[in-house]
Amino acid sequence: MSDFWQHILGFDADSPLLFTQFYFWAFFALVYALFALILSVSESGLSAKRSVLCQAKPVHTKLHLRNVYLLFVSWFFYYKTSGLFLLILAFVTLSDWLIAGRIHKNLSAKRSVSKAVLWLMLSIIIDLGLLAYFKYAYFFTNMINDLFGTAFQVFDIFAYIGNGFSEAGRFSVDTIILPVGISFYIFQVISYTVDVFRRKIEPVKNILDFGFYVSFFPQLVAGPIVRAEEFIPQLYKPYRLSRRLFGIAVFWILNGLAKKIIMSDYLAVNLIDRVFDNPLLFSGFENLFALFAYSLQVYADFSGYTDIAIGVAMLMGFYLPMNFNSPYKSQSPQEFWRRWHMSLGRWLKGYLYIPLGGNRTIGFGTYFWMSLIAFVSAALTGWWWQILVPFALFMISVAIGDKVLQRSGLTMNEANGLTAKLSNSAAVEKRKLLYANLNSFITQVLGGLWHGASWNFIIWGGINGIGMIVEKIWRDMNWHIRFCAMTLLTAGLCCADYYTHLPAWRLFAVWAAIIWVGTAIRYIYWLITQDITVNSQLAIINSQLAKAWAVLQTFTFITFTRLFFRSSSNLDPETANEVAWETAKNMVNQIGGAWSNAIIPDFLWEYRWVVAMFIAGMAIHWLPTNWKRRYRLWFSAMPLWLMVIAVCLAIVVIYQFVSAEMQPFIYFQF
Amino acid sequence: MTPRKVLIFIACVMACLAALCVVLPGRIAFGGKELRWPTLAEVIGEEKPIHTIDTITPIDTIPSLDTLPLIDSALTPTPVETLPVAPKITVDSTTDSRIFLRAFYASLEDAGSRKVRVLHYGDSQIEEDRMSQQIRETLQDKYGGSGAGLLPLAQTIPSRTVRQQLYMNGRFTMPAQGPRRYLVYGPKRDQREDGLYGVMGQVAVMNDSLVKGSEEIMAICTPMDGRKRYSRWQIFADPTIRDSIAGDTVYLRGRGNVYGMSQESPTGVIVDNIPMRGCLGTVFTKIDSALLATFYSEQNVRLIILQFGGNAIPSNKNPGTIQGIVKGLRQQVQLMRTLAPDASILFIGPSDMLTQTEGEWVTYPMVPYMDKLLRKMALEENIAYFSLYRWMGGAGSMKHWQEIGLAGTDGVHFTRSGARKAGKAVVEWMMEGNE
Repeated sequence: MSDFWQHILGFDADSPLLFTQFYFWAFFALVYALFALILSVSESGLSAKRSVLCQAKPVHTKLHLRNVYLLFVSWFFYYKTSGLFLLILAFVTLSDWLIAGRIHKNLSAKRSVSKAVLWLMLSIIIDLGLLAYFKYAYFFTNMINDLFGTAFQVFDIFAYIGNGFSEAGRFSVDTIILPVGISFYIFQVISYTVDVFRRKIEPVKNILDFGFYVSFFPQLVAGPIVRAEEFIPQLYKPYRLSRRLFGIAVFWILNGLAKKIIMSDYLAVNLIDRVFDNPLLFSGFENLFALFAYSLQVYADFSGYTDIAIGVAMLMGFYLPMNFNSPYKSQSPQEFWRRWHMSLGRWLKGYLYIPLGGNRTIGFGTYFWMSLIAFVSAALTGWWWQILVPFALFMISVAIGDKVLQRSGLTMNEANGLTAKLSNSAAVEKRKLLYANLNSFITQVLGGLWHGASWNFIIWGGINGIGMIVEKIWRDMNWHIRFCAMTLLTAGLCCADYYTHLPAWRLFAVWAAIIWVGTAIRYIYWLITQDITVNSQLAIINSQLAKAWAVLQTFTFITFTRLFFRSSSNLDPETANEVAWETAKNMVNQIGGAWSNAIIPDFLWEYRWVVAMFIAGMAIHWLPTNWKRRYRLWFSAMPLWLMVIAVCLAIVVIYQFVSAEMQPFIYFQF
Repeated sequence: MTPRKVLIFIACVMACLAALCVVLPGRIAFGGKELRWPTLAEVIGEEKPIHTIDTITPIDTIPSLDTLPLIDSALTPTPVETLPVAPKITVDSTTDSRIFLRAFYASLEDAGSRKVRVLHYGDSQIEEDRMSQQIRETLQDKYGGSGAGLLPLAQTIPSRTVRQQLYMNGRFTMPAQGPRRYLVYGPKRDQREDGLYGVMGQVAVMNDSLVKGSEEIMAICTPMDGRKRYSRWQIFADPTIRDSIAGDTVYLRGRGNVYGMSQESPTGVIVDNIPMRGCLGTVFTKIDSALLATFYSEQNVRLIILQFGGNAIPSNKNPGTIQGIVKGLRQQVQLMRTLAPDASILFIGPSDMLTQTEGEWVTYPMVPYMDKLLRKMALEENIAYFSLYRWMGGAGSMKHWQEIGLAGTDGVHFTRSGARKAGKAVVEWMMEGNE
C-alpha cells in the first residue's frame, strides 16, 4: 500500500505528470472536484451573507481560497515533475515578490528612483543567474575550455549544500540537472518585476497569490509565458466561464491531444526520429521529407501542449494568451515570428528588443551584444581575421551610416516631436530600418540561446535573424533590382555547384533556381501590367498566387533553419553539439548529394500512413482561419450530451495512434 | 457553466471511457482493422501487456531447424571445390563458445611475421566503422598491424576512420553519383546475376556505359582516427584496371570491376568493416564462391565475424519465419566453414530492439527468440556466439541505453558511444577466451 501512495504522491523522474497520460487527467479531475467544491461552498456562503454583510469580504475570501488551493495543487504538480527543484521555484517566487515590493515602495514614496533601479538589477541578476547556472553552466564551461584550453568541469553547488557540504551523498555534484520549466517561470518573474518598475501593475500584496501566478500548473512547464500584466488582474476576478467558452476549452484540449499524439508523436516515432538519428541510412528525398515533417512535428508538439494548457486553464476560469496562430501561413520570416510562440515573441520584444532601442536607436547594448557575438564566433571557429575584420568594418560603416543619416535627416526624438522637416522622412525610415535590423538580429540570436544551451540553437537564431533582415531588404527592392539580384545569385550558386559539386552548393543552387523561376514570372507579370489596367479577377488571382508562393518560401526557409534546431537532450552538451552539427551536415549531404528519384514512389507507398498524416496535418494547418473558427464554434455549440460522445469518440481515435504498431524499417538507399 | 456542471461533464466523459474499458477491452477486429482499447487494469497501471515470447516457446521445444523450409529459395550455394573442414563436435548448451575461436587465437601468435585478417560483416549496426573500430584498435594494439582495412571504391556510407573524396575524370563527385555499383544485399535493380561481387558483397564498375566519366577515378582516402599511418595499399580489381598510388591517393584507370581497396600493413592484424545495410545475412551464398575462397585463402582470413539477425525482427512476428531465417544463416555459416576452413567464425546476435506497443516502448517479441535460436545454431555449427541482447541486459535494456545516450531514439541503432561500448565488450569478451 505504501508503494501505491509513494507512486501517487512521490517524485519519480521517470513518471512526470504529462498532459498525454491518464494519470494527469485523473489528477485534474480530482483537482477540479475540490475546485468546484471550494467555489460552490464560497458561493453559498456568499449568498447567505449577501443580505446582511457587505459583499467585498466573502468575494475576496473565496478568490483567495481558490488561489491558495491552486497554488498548492501547482506545487504538487511541479513536485511530481521536478522533485526538490520545487525549492528553486519557491525561492524565485519569494525573492521577486520581496524585491517587487521594495521597488514599488521606492517609486511610490518618491524615494530615490536609483534605489528602485538597483533593486530591479538585483532581481534580474538573481533570476538570470539561476537560469544561467542551471541551463547554461555546461555551455559556458565548454566555451571557456575551448577558448582558453582549460579543463574545468561543472560542480553543482546546490547538490554540495544538499549533501551537507560534502561531495558524496544523496545528490551528485558532478552534474547539473535542468529543472523543468525554469526558462518559462524565470521569464514570468522577470516580467513581473519589470512591469512593477515600469508602473504597469501594482505589486501583488499576498505572496500566495503571487506564487499562484508564477506556478499555475497548466502553463508551468511549457508555457505560454504569461506576462504579469496579463494574468495578475485575473487573480482578483471571480470565476466566469460561459457555455460557449466551455465548449471552446474542451475543443482546445482535444485539439492539443490530437496534435501532440497524432501529428507529433506518430510522425516522430515512425519516420522523423530515425532519419535524424541516422541521416546516412536514408536517401536525399527521405531526408528532405523528414525535415519538412519535422517542421510540422515541432509545431504540433509545442502548440498541442499549449492548446491543452489553454483549455485546462480556461475550465478553471483563467485565460492564457494564444501562443501559436497558424505560423506556417506566414508570408515572411518576420510574420512567422509574430505567429510562432507568440508569448515568447512578445516577451522578447517587450523586455529585450525595446530596451535595446527597438527601431528608435542603437546604443551601448546593441554594440555590446554585436561585438560579443562576433568575438565568441571568431574565438570558437578560430577564424579571427575572417570574422573580426569584416565585423569591425561593418560596425564602423553602421556608425558612419548612422551619423550620415542623422545629419541628412533628424533624430528620432525630433521626428516624434514633429519638429523636423517632412522632406527628410526617407532618411528617418532608413535609420529605423537599420536600428530595427540590428536589434532584431540580437533578439533572434539570444532567443535562439533561450531555446537551448548549445551552438546549434545560436546558429538557428542567427539564421532566423538574417532571414528576417534579408526579407525586409528584398521587400523594399524594386522589381528590376529584385530580378537582377536573384539572377546573379542563382548564377553564382549554379557556378559554385558546377565547379565544386558539393552538396550544400547543389542544395542552395536548386533552391535559388526555384525562387528565380517565381521571381521571373512575377517580374514578367509586373512588366506587362505596370502600364495597363488589370482585370480585377486577374489581380486577385495574382495576389493569391503571390501569397501562396510567399507562404511556401517562408515555410521552406523555416524548415531549413530546423536543421539546427534539434539537439539530443540525453547527451552531454559537447557531444550534443557535435551530434547536432553532424546531423545537419549529413542531412545536407544526403539531400544535395544522394538524391534518388527512383525510390520516391517506393517511399511514398511504404510510408503511406506517415505521408498521409503529414499531408493531412499541413492541409488542416492551412485551412482558412474563418473555417477553423466556424468549426470551433460549431463544436462549442453542441448539446452537452453530444459533446460527451464526441469527446469519447475523439479519445478512442487518438488512442488508436497511441497504440498503433510502428512502421518497420525499410531501406531504400544502399 | 458553473464549476459543478463542468465537473459533471468531466465525470460523464470518464465514466463513458471507463465503461468502454469494461465493454471493449483489448483488440477488436473492425472492418479488417483492429480497434484497440485498454482494460481498466492497464489504465491504472496494474497490468502491463507481456511482449516477450520467452514464456511462450521454451527453447527445448524449438523444432529441428533442418525440417523447416528456407525463406529464400534462391539460397543455393555456388559450386566450389570442396576443402577439408574440421569435423563438428557436439557440445551442450552451457559450453563457452569461445572454444571455437582457438584457431584464431593460435593464428595471432604469428601476427608479428604475417598478416592475420579479420572480416567483420554486419548490418546497419556496424556502418561508419562502428564496433569494428574498437575491435581493430584493440587487436592492433596488442598484436601489431595498422590500417583501416577494406574500403569500397565509392564510399557511399562515410566512415569515422577514413574520409574519402572521389574524383571522376578530374571532377569532384559525390559517392552516390560515382561509378555504377552492384550490391548483393541491395534491391533487384542493384544486383547482378554472375555473383561477381567480391568479398565486400559489392562491386564498382568503372567505365560502365550507364555512368559517364568513370574512365579515370581518383580516390583520396584520409585517415581520421589519429592512429599511425598505413604503410601500403592493396587494390582488388580486374586485371584490366590499372592503378597507381601516391600516399593516401589511389588512381584507377580502365574498364572493369573494382571489388575494394585496402590500406593495411603487411603484418599484424587487419580488421575489415563490411556493413550490409538492411541485410538479413543470408546473401553470401549468392556471391561467387571461388572469388570468396581465393580471397580468404590469399589474405589469410582467420576470423569471420557475422553480425546479423536484427533486420529479421521488425517485420516478422511468426516464430516459424524466424526459424527459417536462422536456417538460412546456418547455411551461410556452413558455406564460410567450407570456403575458409582455417578461419574461426564468431556470430554476434542482434541487440535489444524496441518497438512501440500501446504507447510503451517494449522489446520486439522476436528478439529473445532469435537470440536463443542463433546461439543454438552457433553451438551446433561449432562457432562462437556473442549475445549482444543478453550482454545489454535483455528485454528493455535498449530503453536504458537510450536514456543514457548510448542508443538512438529509433530504439534499434546504437549511437557512436553506444557502438564503442558494444565493440569494446565484444573484443574484450573474445580476448578473455585467449587468456
